[in-house]
Amino acid sequence: MPSSRPTQAEPAIRIENVTKHYGSFLALRNINLSVARGEKIVVCGPSGSGKSTMIRCINRLEEHDGGRIFVLGTELNDDVGNIDEIRREVGMVFQHFNLFPHMTVLENCVLAPMLVRGISRSEAEATAKRYLEKVRIPEQASKFPGQLSGGQQQRVAIARALCMQPQIMLFDEPTSALDPEMISEVLDVMVTLASEGMTMVCVTHEMGFARRVADRVIFMDRGEIIEEAPPEEFFSAPKNERTQQFLSQVQTH
Amino acid sequence: MASIHSTSGLEGIRRRFFPTPFQSLLSLLSLALLVTIGWKLLDWAFLSAVFSAEGGPEACRAAAGACWSVIANRWRIIMFGLYPYEEQWRSALACAVVVVMVVLSCLPAFWTGKRIALVWGLGTTLFYFLLKGGVLGLNRVGEEAWGGLALTLFIFVSTCLIGFPLSIVLALLRRSQLPWISRTTGLIIDCVRSLPLVSILFAFAVVVPFMLPGWLQSDKLYRVVFGSALFFAAYQAEIIRGGLQGVPRGQEEAAMSLGIGYWHRISRILLPQAMRNALPATINQFVIAFKETSLVIVVGFFEILASGNAAYGTGQWTFAYVEVYAFIALIYFVFVFSLSRYGAFLERRMAVGER
Ligand SMILES: Nc1ncnc2c1ncn2[C@@H]1O[C@H](COP(=O)(O)OP(=O)(O)OP(=O)(O)O)[C@@H](O)[C@H]1O
Ligand SMILES: [Mg+2]
Repeated sequence: MPSSRPTQAEPAIRIENVTKHYGSFLALRNINLSVARGEKIVVCGPSGSGKSTMIRCINRLEEHDGGRIFVLGTELNDDVGNIDEIRREVGMVFQHFNLFPHMTVLENCVLAPMLVRGISRSEAEATAKRYLEKVRIPEQASKFPGQLSGGQQQRVAIARALCMQPQIMLFDEPTSALDPEMISEVLDVMVTLASEGMTMVCVTHEMGFARRVADRVIFMDRGEIIEEAPPEEFFSAPKNERTQQFLSQVQTH
Repeated sequence: MASIHSTSGLEGIRRRFFPTPFQSLLSLLSLALLVTIGWKLLDWAFLSAVFSAEGGPEACRAAAGACWSVIANRWRIIMFGLYPYEEQWRSALACAVVVVMVVLSCLPAFWTGKRIALVWGLGTTLFYFLLKGGVLGLNRVGEEAWGGLALTLFIFVSTCLIGFPLSIVLALLRRSQLPWISRTTGLIIDCVRSLPLVSILFAFAVVVPFMLPGWLQSDKLYRVVFGSALFFAAYQAEIIRGGLQGVPRGQEEAAMSLGIGYWHRISRILLPQAMRNALPATINQFVIAFKETSLVIVVGFFEILASGNAAYGTGQWTFAYVEVYAFIALIYFVFVFSLSRYGAFLERRMAVGER
C-alpha cells in the first residue's frame, strides 16, 4: 500500500504537464489528465499518437521526463524506490496478453499475489478461481496459455491482473490482437468490471464500448490530448477537425 | 495385410539400394565391407579376446584378439589413480555418491529449491569427506593423490557447480542497464573465451600462486577447478544471454506491471524461459565440459585418461593401450550419452506448455 492513503478528494491518477522523449523524438507533449476514483476513461487516437506511451507512464513502464504524475496520491519519480508498491495497485492488460507461457493459467494467477502480497497458496488459489469464474473460464485453470484461444488468453490476463486486487486497471488495446468473434467476450468482461466501480483507463478503438462504459473519451494525436469529452458529446459533436477525421475513419470500417 | 507390408518393405529396400546395376554393385560392396569390419571387430573384441586376469601379459601376446586382461589387472589404477590401495573403496563410494546425486537431481520430483539444495549439499559434502578423509576415523588423503574416475567426476561436478551459477551472474551483469557494468562483463567474458582452456588451467595452477597472498593460496586442485569453472561460465553466460534475448520484452513488462520485484522477475519469469530456449546449447556445454576434464593432465593431475596412460605405461602392458583406451572411451560414452539422452527428455518435457 502507498504510505499516504489518498483521500476521497484526491484523484486516482493525476498527470500534470507531462512530456516524454524517445531520444530527441517528443512522444508526449504537455499531457494533463486527472482520473477520479471509479472513473472510466477511454483513450483513442491514430497509431503513433502516444496512447501506449501515456498509459505506460502511469505504472512507470516508461519514465516521463517532464511534469508530474501522481498515482493514488504518490508521485512517480526517481525517488520511488517503492514503485512496486504502486504497481501492485495498478493492474495492466496488454495487447498481446503477455501471459507467462511456462506456467499454467492458475500459476499465472497466483504467482504475483503469493510473491508480492505474501498470500498463502490456498488463499491465492481461491481468489484466482473466483476471478477465473468471473471471466468465465474456470475450467481452463490447469491448461497452459498456449493451449487457449486469444480471447481466452486475454480473459486470463484480465483475471491475473485482478488477482492482485488492484484499485486501478489499465488496458492497452486489449482487443486489437483478437479475431473479431472473440472481441465481445473480452469486452463483456470489461463492461462487468466497469459496472463494479473499477477505475479504468482503456486505450481502445472499440467505439461501442466507449459509448457504453466511458465517463470521458480522450483523443490523442502527435503526443497531445486534443479533445476530451463525455462519449455522447464526443461522438455526436467532435470539436476538433482531426477528431472528426479520425471518427469518420474508425466508424466506416 | 502382412504380406503387402513386407513386400512394400522389400520394395523400399530395392528402390533405395538397388535402383540401377551400378548402384546395386556399390551397395553390395559396402555391405560386404561392413560385414567384414563387423566380423573382425567382433572377433577381436570377444571371440579371440583374453578376458581372464590370470595369464598375465604372456597369455595376451599368444592370443590374436583383444587383451581385456589388462583391464582386469589394472582397473584400479584406471578408476582410482594414485589413491591409496586400501582406501580405494572410499573413492568408489564417492563416485557412486556423485552418480546418485546427479540422477536424483535429474528427477522432476526433486526440482524444488529445498530438495535440490539438500541433495547437492549432502552429496558434495559426503563426496568431499569420503575422498579427503580426516574425519570419523578416515585416513586423510591429500588432493595430490586423488585420481581416476573420482577425480574426473570431482572436476566435472565442481566445474558445473561453480560455473553454472557464475554463468547466470555473468549473463545478468552483461545485460545490466549500467553501461560500465555490462561492458566490463562483456570484456571479461570475451577475454576468457579467447584463451585456450589449457593456458587458463596452466595459469591458475602455476602463475596465480605468485600473485595471491599466502592465505588465499589453496591447493592447486581448487585453483584449477576454479579456472575451469571460469572458462565454463564464460561460454555458458553467452548461451544464457542468448536464451534471455529470446524471451519477449512483454514478459518482463507483465511481471513488472504486477509489482513483481527484480529478483523474482529474473528467477520466476525470465530465467525459466531463457533456460528453456538455451537448453540444447546448455546440454552441449555440459558434454564439452565433461570431455575437457581430461585437460587437467597438463598441470599434473591423474584424471581417468591420465590414469589410463599410467595403467598401460608401466613396462609389461605397453602393447595393450588400445584396450585401455577402449575401456575409457566406454566410460566417457556412458556418461556423455546419458547426459544427452537426458537433455532430449528435458526438451520433450518442457515442450508441454509450449506452442
Ligand atoms: N521505445 C521507443 N523508442 C523510440 N520511439 C518510440 C518507442 N516507443 C514508442 N516510440 C514512438 O513514440 C510514438 C508514440 O508511440 P506509442 O506506442 O505511444 O503510440 P500509440 O498511440 O500507442 O500507437 P499504436 O496505436 O500504434 O499502438 C511513436 O511515434 C513511436 O514510434
Ligand atoms: Mg499502442
